[in-house]
Amino acid sequence: MTPFIYYRPTDLHEAAGLLADAAATTKLLAGGQSLLLALKDRTLRPARVVSVASLTGLGGVREQRDGRLDIGATTTYAKLARATFAGWHAEIAAVAGNLADRSVRSLGTIGGAVCHAAPRFDMPTLLTAAGAQMHLLSVAGERSLNANDFFNPQGGTHMTGAEILTRISVPGVDSLDALAFEKFRFRIFDAAIVSVACALKVGSDGKISKANIVVGALANAPLTAVATAAQLIGRKPRELRAEAIGAEAAGEVAPFITTQTLRQRYQSELVISLTAKAFARASASVMGA
Amino acid sequence: MPRITINVNGRAVSSDIDERMLLIEFIRDVACLTGTHAGCYEARCGCCAVELDGSSVKSCNVLALQADGKSLFTVESLSQQRLAPVEHITTQSLAGVYVPLEAMSSNMQDLHPLQAAFHRCHALQCGFCTPGMLMVLKNFLEEHPRPSRDEVRVAISGNLCRCTGYQHIVDAAMEAAAIMHPEPA
Repeated sequence: MTPFIYYRPTDLHEAAGLLADAAATTKLLAGGQSLLLALKDRTLRPARVVSVASLTGLGGVREQRDGRLDIGATTTYAKLARATFAGWHAEIAAVAGNLADRSVRSLGTIGGAVCHAAPRFDMPTLLTAAGAQMHLLSVAGERSLNANDFFNPQGGTHMTGAEILTRISVPGVDSLDALAFEKFRFRIFDAAIVSVACALKVGSDGKISKANIVVGALANAPLTAVATAAQLIGRKPRELRAEAIGAEAAGEVAPFITTQTLRQRYQSELVISLTAKAFARASASVMGA
Repeated sequence: MPRITINVNGRAVSSDIDERMLLIEFIRDVACLTGTHAGCYEARCGCCAVELDGSSVKSCNVLALQADGKSLFTVESLSQQRLAPVEHITTQSLAGVYVPLEAMSSNMQDLHPLQAAFHRCHALQCGFCTPGMLMVLKNFLEEHPRPSRDEVRVAISGNLCRCTGYQHIVDAAMEAAAIMHPEPA
């Protein structure tokens, strides 16, 4: 680690002020599970580290009156995993409880993962499929970005250095009927080699009215299989074959080309099977409901 | 140099530290408790796991500053007799501090049920990973009184052991779970 000055602001505005002073050389510390690794191998050399872990208003989960789920940025995975959420929100808890390992989950935060935006992390993929909104705060004011616009296709996020992610709003339970997340990794504590999230909403006629398929770990930001999802609209889940949808999604976001590296070809095959699994689980939960 | 205070095993330890000091360095070099082992410094091996405010964390991936004012328990806290750090280890001090293993039961006063089960099941060979295994399993078993073998394996997925092949560690965890939370008669 290179030397830095450590700040422990007492409120959010003080933290925003500290960031505004020297955004380029300041890093925020929530749980530190990604930041500390980067500090130790010196890929990051901030002059100032600002701890936001214990700021009030950044942690915890609140359900709003309109059904939205507001997840504070410094909510740890362990806390999310223990939460009991209604409907498809439960998938967020399930994913949070099934990544990294027990000790990392007790410090790692959802906001930290989203801001670090490592392509192989699960939360960016899941939150993009769920249509979450990221709320940002800086001395200039507040703004919010859809998950789609939040992650930068070139890597990282579209946050400016002076902004703090305060909370993540997940749309209410009514906005979708099912959300299923599937991933593949070699060892249980590894990051995903490919992850797929599939979101479905079915109209009163039993036909799919909203679909979203998001594939993570392939590119620098989660990829949305727009065309594949569009084909599902107006069809009944029962009429669709999960394997065909998997192949369709892989063709769209990770086409199997023999000139690719072995890793890319492997990922391409994983997209087929994981999309099929995610769709099958989502449609089963839609049909069961 | 900021001054921090961490409550280590019920004892408040204060020191002026460098901002970069990791929690594992604080535990080993400042609090002088060397039971917690530093393995990889990359949050992979889990040898440095300790309990911070009731949840297990890998102390090599936490700044000591992050733990300021918090309460921390290390592997030394599992059995009461090891709470006092020994400055110079001699045969005499060892004779005074340690009770022969055979004389210990799984009584909480002597050895934590997990430690006793590790001993009985031969759940360690070189012992380097053991402090981390014990702390993670203790935290896990307190939350999950009756786990399955698979759940135990998932719980210790962040702890690497290169000796045992994990089989005996899982055996010990299952045995300890039965002792810590006996089936209601």
